Amino acid sequence: MKNKLHIFLFLIVIFSVIIIGIIVGNILKPDSYGEHGHYRYDAVNEIQAQPLINQDIKTCAECHDNIYQLHEKDAHYNVPCVDCHGPCNLHVAFYKGGEAAANISKEQAYVPKEYKLEGCLYCHRKLKAKPSDYPQIIQEDHYKFLHVIVHDTKCIECHSPHEPVFLLTEVRQSRIHPIVYRCTECHDTKPEKSYKEVQGHPAIFECSDCHKAIVDDFNTKPHHNYVECRTCHLYHKENETTGRIYKNGNAKFCLLCHEKKPFKDDKYPPKIEWPSHVGNAEIIIKSNEKICLTCHEDKIHKMNVNFRENPHSKNWITEHREYGRQNLSTCQKCHQMNDCYSCHMKHKPLSHTSDWKTQHPKFAENNKQSCEICHGTNACFSCHKLEMPHPKDWDEKHKDVVAQKAKDFCYRCHNEDFCKQCH
Amino acid sequence: MENLDRRRFIKLGIFTSAGVLVGSFFAFANTDKKIEVESYDDLLKYDWGYIIDTSRCIGCGSCVRACKMENNVPDNYFRTWVERYEIDKNEKVRVDSPKGAIESFKENNFPAEDIVKAFFVPKLCNHCYDSPCVQVCPVGASYDTPDKVVLIDKEHCVGCGYCVQACPYGCRYIDHEKGVADKCTFCYHRIHKGLAPACVNACPRNARIYGNLKDPDSKIRKMLHQRKYGTLKPDLGTNPKCFYLELDMEIK
Repeated sequence: MKNKLHIFLFLIVIFSVIIIGIIVGNILKPDSYGEHGHYRYDAVNEIQAQPLINQDIKTCAECHDNIYQLHEKDAHYNVPCVDCHGPCNLHVAFYKGGEAAANISKEQAYVPKEYKLEGCLYCHRKLKAKPSDYPQIIQEDHYKFLHVIVHDTKCIECHSPHEPVFLLTEVRQSRIHPIVYRCTECHDTKPEKSYKEVQGHPAIFECSDCHKAIVDDFNTKPHHNYVECRTCHLYHKENETTGRIYKNGNAKFCLLCHEKKPFKDDKYPPKIEWPSHVGNAEIIIKSNEKICLTCHEDKIHKMNVNFRENPHSKNWITEHREYGRQNLSTCQKCHQMNDCYSCHMKHKPLSHTSDWKTQHPKFAENNKQSCEICHGTNACFSCHKLEMPHPKDWDEKHKDVVAQKAKDFCYRCHNEDFCKQCH
Repeated sequence: MENLDRRRFIKLGIFTSAGVLVGSFFAFANTDKKIEVESYDDLLKYDWGYIIDTSRCIGCGSCVRACKMENNVPDNYFRTWVERYEIDKNEKVRVDSPKGAIESFKENNFPAEDIVKAFFVPKLCNHCYDSPCVQVCPVGASYDTPDKVVLIDKEHCVGCGYCVQACPYGCRYIDHEKGVADKCTFCYHRIHKGLAPACVNACPRNARIYGNLKDPDSKIRKMLHQRKYGTLKPDLGTNPKCFYLELDMEIK
C-alpha cells in the first residue's frame, strides 16, 4: 500500500509539472505566436507602423513643380531630391499641416539650399573604381581646364544643381546613339598613334565616320585645339551597346566657359560680361536659347548639315536594299545580322511573292549571295540536296548524279519530258 | 506527522495546478486588438527580391546616408554599406569601406596606373530563403515573413548575438542602446506602402532595383531574365535573394 502511494504521488507531481508548464508557457507566449510559423505574427504588422523619413521625389514635386520639371529634363534626372537635400520629412510634415505639424518648428522644417563642394564630389570625384563613362573630375584638373584660380570655388557657382549642364533636349527623349569609345577607356594614357596605324587594332567608331563634313569643318575652327566633340555633345552610356548623345547649343552651356566671373582667370578662354554682352538677357534667352549661335556659329562648326551624307537617308527603308547588297560589311560595323532578321523574319522581302517557289531559281542564279544573307549558305542544299544553282560543269557531271539518285530525283523540279529535250 | 506532510503536499499541488488552470482561462480570454496592415493572404502574393548592379554603382554613399536616416541606425553600424574592391597589377586585392562609405571614398588605395580592375559593391542583408540567422535564434525573435523578408521581433529579442555570429555576410549588429539585434528590413514599412526602400529611392544611378519576384511582369524578373547574375557565397546553401549583376569572383 505504502509503495503504491509513492508511485501515485510521483505521477501527480510529474503530471502537475507538465500542466503548469503548458499553462505558464501559454501565458508567456504572445498572442499571435505560432499562427503562421515560429514567430509572433503581430510583429510583422508592427514594423509597418514605422514612420517614413525619406521622401519620394513625387512628394516634392507636388509643391515644387517648377524645379521638378527642370530637374527631370537635365542630366541629374536620376538623382532624387533626398540625396542633396536630406530626408525632408519634417519639412513635408510642417507644410502639409494637420496634427503632425504642431510639434515642428519652422527652423526644423527648413531645408538648407546650399550644398557644399564636398557633396558634389561624393559622386563626381574621379576614382578608378567608378565606371569610365561616368562624369567624374579631379578638382585641380577641372579648375585648370576652366581657368578657375580661386580654389575653394563651389560647383554651384557655375553649375545649377537642378540643371547641371543645361541640356537643350530633354534627357530621356534625346537620341539613342551607337556606342562611342574613348581611347582612355581601354588605355591608361591617350596613345600617340591613331588606331588605324596599329596593326590588328579593332575598328572603332569615330565621330568622323558618320559626320565627316562636320568634323572636318570643326578641325579648321579655333575650338578644336581645346575641346573634343564629347565636351559639348555629352554622351551617356545606357547599356553595353548604346548611349544617348545630346545636341547642345544652349547659351548657358557656352557660358560655363565663356562668362566672366571673379574666380576665373580672365586671360583665356575669351570671356564676356553677361548679360550686358547681349543686352537684357532675360528677354532674349527666353525667346532664343541658342542665342550664342546666332552670331558665333562660324566659330564652332557647320550647323546646316546635309543629312544625305549620313548613311541613313529619309527613305532608307527602300534604299537600304541596294546599299546593303553592295556594302554589307559597312552595315555590320554598327549592326549585327540579328538586326536584319528582326524585320525580315516578320516581313518577307517584297520579291517573295506567293509564286516565289517557282520564281526563285531565276533570282538565285544571279544573286545567290543575297539569298545567303538571310537563308545561310546551306539553305539550297537543305531542300534540293544538291549544290544549287547547278555548277558550271553540270553538262558533264549530271550523268553521275542521275545514276546515283535515280531520275525521280530530277523530276521534283523538272518535267518528265525534260530529258528528251537533249537526249 | 509524516502522513500529514504528504497529504498537505498533495493538497497543495492539486490546488496550485487548479488555480493556474483557472487563471489561464482568463489569460486566454484576454486577446489584444490586432494592427493588421495587410492580411496574411495578401502577403503571400509577394516575394521581395533585390538586384545590385555592380557595374553601375559609383560609390557615392547616398544609400548609406538614406538608410541611416530612415532607420535611425546607430553610429558605426550599417544596415547597408558600400565596399570598394581594387586589384592592382601584382594581383593584390584591397577591399575597403571607410565608415561604410557614408562619406563616399576619398582616393585610390593603389596608384591609379597600377590598378587593373576596381569596382564598388553595395552590400545589405541578403534575406536568404534558408537563413542561418533565423535557424539559430533561441527565442523565435528572428523570423521569415510570409513575403519572405527576414525580420526581427525586437520586443522578444534577448540580444544574445547568436544571429550576429551566424550570418555569413555580416549583415547584423547588436543595437547596444536597446540591447537587441538589428538588421536591414528591406524598409518593410515603405515597400508595403508602394514606396521603394530608402536605399533604392536614394540611388542616383539605378544600381539598386527591388521588386516582387512572384510577379512575372515585374522589373526585377525581367532584369533577371535578361542579365547574368550571381549571389554571394552560394556554397553555403543560404539561398540569398540579393542578386548581383556582373558579379566578380573576388566579391565575397
